[in-house]
Amino acid sequence: MSTTPKPDAADGIAPGGATRGSDRPTFWGRLTHAGPYRAVTDFVFASTRRQFILLAALPIVWVLFAHLGPILQMIRVSFLDSYPPAVGYTPQFTLDNWASFFKESIFIKPFFRTLMFSLSLTFATLVLIYPVAYFLARHVKRDNQMLLLLMLLIPFWVGEIVRTYAIMILLGNTGAVNLILKTLGLIDRPIPFMFTGFSLSFGIVYLTSLYMLMPLYSALEKIPPTYTEAAADLGAGAWTRFRRVTLPLSLEGISSGCTLVFLISTGLYATPILLGGPSTTLFSQTIAGFFHVAGDKWPTGAAFSTIMLLTALILSGTFMKLIGSLTRGPQK
Amino acid sequence: MTRNTRILMSIVYWAFVVYLFVPLLLMVLMGFKDSNFIGFPIKSWTLDWYIGVFKDSEVVSVFLYSTVIAVTSTLISLTIGTWISVLLAGRSFFGRIIIFGLTILPAVIPGIISAISFRIFANLLGIQTGMFAIIWAHAVHNVPFVVLVVMARLATLPKSHTEAAMDLGADKIVSFFRVTLPYLKPALIGAGVFCMLLSFDDFVRSFFLGGYKPTLPVLIFSKLRSGMSPEINAIATVVLVMTAVMGIWAERSMRRMGKGT
Amino acid sequence: MTKLIQSRRRFLGTAMGAGALLASPAYLRSSAAQTGGVVNIWTYDEFIPDDVKKDFEKETGIEVRIRLVDDQGKQFNLLVAEQPNPSVDILTVAGHRFLQFIDSGLIAPMDTERLANWGAINPVYSESDWATINGEKWGVPILSGAEIMAYNTDYVPEDRRNTWDTLFSEDYKQQTAYIPSDLMSIVMLYLGYDGNMIEYMDDPDEAARIVAEARDFLIEKKPLVRKYYDSGAEIQQMLVNQDVVLCHAWNGPISKLIMDGLPMGMSIPKEGSYGFVYTLNVANNAPNADNAYKFLDAMMASSEIGAAMTQSTGFISTYKGSAEHLSDLEKAAASFPEEQLENLQFFRAEANDMKYALVDPAVEEIKAS
Repeated sequence: MSTTPKPDAADGIAPGGATRGSDRPTFWGRLTHAGPYRAVTDFVFASTRRQFILLAALPIVWVLFAHLGPILQMIRVSFLDSYPPAVGYTPQFTLDNWASFFKESIFIKPFFRTLMFSLSLTFATLVLIYPVAYFLARHVKRDNQMLLLLMLLIPFWVGEIVRTYAIMILLGNTGAVNLILKTLGLIDRPIPFMFTGFSLSFGIVYLTSLYMLMPLYSALEKIPPTYTEAAADLGAGAWTRFRRVTLPLSLEGISSGCTLVFLISTGLYATPILLGGPSTTLFSQTIAGFFHVAGDKWPTGAAFSTIMLLTALILSGTFMKLIGSLTRGPQK
Repeated sequence: MTRNTRILMSIVYWAFVVYLFVPLLLMVLMGFKDSNFIGFPIKSWTLDWYIGVFKDSEVVSVFLYSTVIAVTSTLISLTIGTWISVLLAGRSFFGRIIIFGLTILPAVIPGIISAISFRIFANLLGIQTGMFAIIWAHAVHNVPFVVLVVMARLATLPKSHTEAAMDLGADKIVSFFRVTLPYLKPALIGAGVFCMLLSFDDFVRSFFLGGYKPTLPVLIFSKLRSGMSPEINAIATVVLVMTAVMGIWAERSMRRMGKGT
Repeated sequence: MTKLIQSRRRFLGTAMGAGALLASPAYLRSSAAQTGGVVNIWTYDEFIPDDVKKDFEKETGIEVRIRLVDDQGKQFNLLVAEQPNPSVDILTVAGHRFLQFIDSGLIAPMDTERLANWGAINPVYSESDWATINGEKWGVPILSGAEIMAYNTDYVPEDRRNTWDTLFSEDYKQQTAYIPSDLMSIVMLYLGYDGNMIEYMDDPDEAARIVAEARDFLIEKKPLVRKYYDSGAEIQQMLVNQDVVLCHAWNGPISKLIMDGLPMGMSIPKEGSYGFVYTLNVANNAPNADNAYKFLDAMMASSEIGAAMTQSTGFISTYKGSAEHLSDLEKAAASFPEEQLENLQFFRAEANDMKYALVDPAVEEIKAS
């Protein structure tokens, strides 16, 4: 590894630093003329194969070691009949943990509930957040964009748990909303907001909105305003301009935003537990049950996690492929 | 865009802001409640919880500990994530989809599973628990998010940009640092803030991989065991203020650096 | 050194073998070599009074390192994941979970001879039948908890506070909450069976039938319940917010609400309920076992320490005479009348394997129904 991007990244990132001031000898100019640097790069760039190997080495080592390693551990555990191992007992290979998922309907129900829930949640978040991102990217002055964006991030720094409890005292029977409604004389008895689909969505959209906002914003932000202006000059109405220009160009953002939200929502745990009602058990809670409540059913938990993992990966892979073919369509 | 849609959108935006900030205001408010439990009605008020946070040096040191972990793991994730994105974007080769799949993996594993597998894996490698282990787990967990965001941005980088740089005599490394990286700046900032948030808010991995020094969520979780008290709200508020101050400072110094070059 | 590692290898999973050779246990001791050493404790927030910690450190020069945990399951998982070289000396286990820890070789038998103050514990707890397993003692009982019925005194009249019937009554529809897995044992008792399931150890069919009956009962009552919850903080918040006015809970969180002056009360209903005891245990292969025993002895040094633990946790102290140091409100909040205590029995672990093999899926079915 002849390069480490980190120290130089700050230089590269600095606004304007990259494009301005190229007439005086810069760090880069001095670097490219330095002997040792030339020697190394000449060697590396001599063949594309060599370039590729150098570029690919770190990612491959990283994903195999850091990403795959722990998961292989989990998959191994999912095939054992007992884990953590009891004293003096060597766990045996078994398929029972996997089989129990398909045998027992009680597990399949939360599984599909989670998938449906995540899909609709992803869609809802997209519909809600798109206007927010659009407003930020297209209607706010460029200098203020960062500020307004960072402002939206403030509530996330307090952490999921504290925030969720704050939602409880907002929506509870003696919570802020009911208190205000009562003072205004609009209600006699408190409205039970908590532990319903409403409180659950209220809390979860809070979590997922951020994951949607970021990619959407960065996709919308880079669409040159001249594009929509040109469309307007050609007589396109607002809806047509959105449908034919803005939407196709923001597909990349939609794709990564939706993937993120979908993946995140299949694994949500704390918020559904705190804000959901008795009939909204999600698969992640089922999985956690094998680790927490029972404490000694790791293998089943591991098998179920692997199932959830594969499903989520396949679904989001298909989705990204789909969007990928869409983007290639209208742009060419 | 017509006037009406613009107004509509600004309404949606500000409604969203209200939605985000109302729970936050309640949290700050509850830190002043003179009781062991948060909630309405508030019969009497006190400053003791906030004073207590400043008297208790643990909160500040835990905050700094969490910050160091967040910043370090974010820098690692950004470096590796960008590297992987560059490899995967604009190049098709055997195994590309496999590498992509493996890259995304850590994001989809439920927290508890990932934490336990990390712990077992750390045992296997002889890595001891503590700051290093937490940084490692957070960095791994955050790489997928960086890749998703950076790849989306990279896909839109016009080839002409890098080609122009090459025409001007830059080699691939220089053109990466002078053209690609600046173009990625918004994505990197976005992903970076994101990673810091994830790291800062992570409980399970920090719990399983941490030693006797808690990170912020670990401290809050264990305090929650004896009830959601105004103390926790006061801690969260103080942390929020400290983070905001640090954020502003970072933004300022980045701007100054920008002017310097 | 090699001998040490070999003795520990007994507890290894197959794949962890290599890790044990790499991970030298030496680092666990290095940091405290210059002082009187350390003692590492995993416990819940507020369980170890600050003064005890400070006094102990001053007197012995041993540094007390406390790692706060938030549930039994996580503590178990963490300890398992740390095998074979635990970083902990003392952990906090609920008595009825002993077997799980013992079976996995995670905790060591308690050598009560080394504890001069062992006699400070009320024998109701220290000599109880659940406390002796395989002829050994396994922990120092510190706080006692019970599965109780809690109510908002403004909403639940006095004559309905002493029976589980009220929890399942139409009158409190959508105003109740409980922990389903805990309530399964109570429902079995409520329906006239042994919730510990020891009676049915030889009759698996009968055991399965009883669990099914309890499960169907809770499924039938599901439209009445507002929330299945998990943690004490949750139920506290629900009661404060009046989202629920009647619930099943542990005594600790509720007595904290009472101590705070909220209109709450609790009872051990006449149909009976279960109690459990938190104990401090020494980990198997504890890196500082000697210091652990010194600390445990210091914990039991006076009845004031027991009272302080009750004040901070809401659970009942197991120390002789600790109630004398409590105020009247605290006494009322953290104790039960004699006639109610007669309805209380302890959780027993003997049939746990069979019981939870039946109860865990039943709970999943209740939640999924």
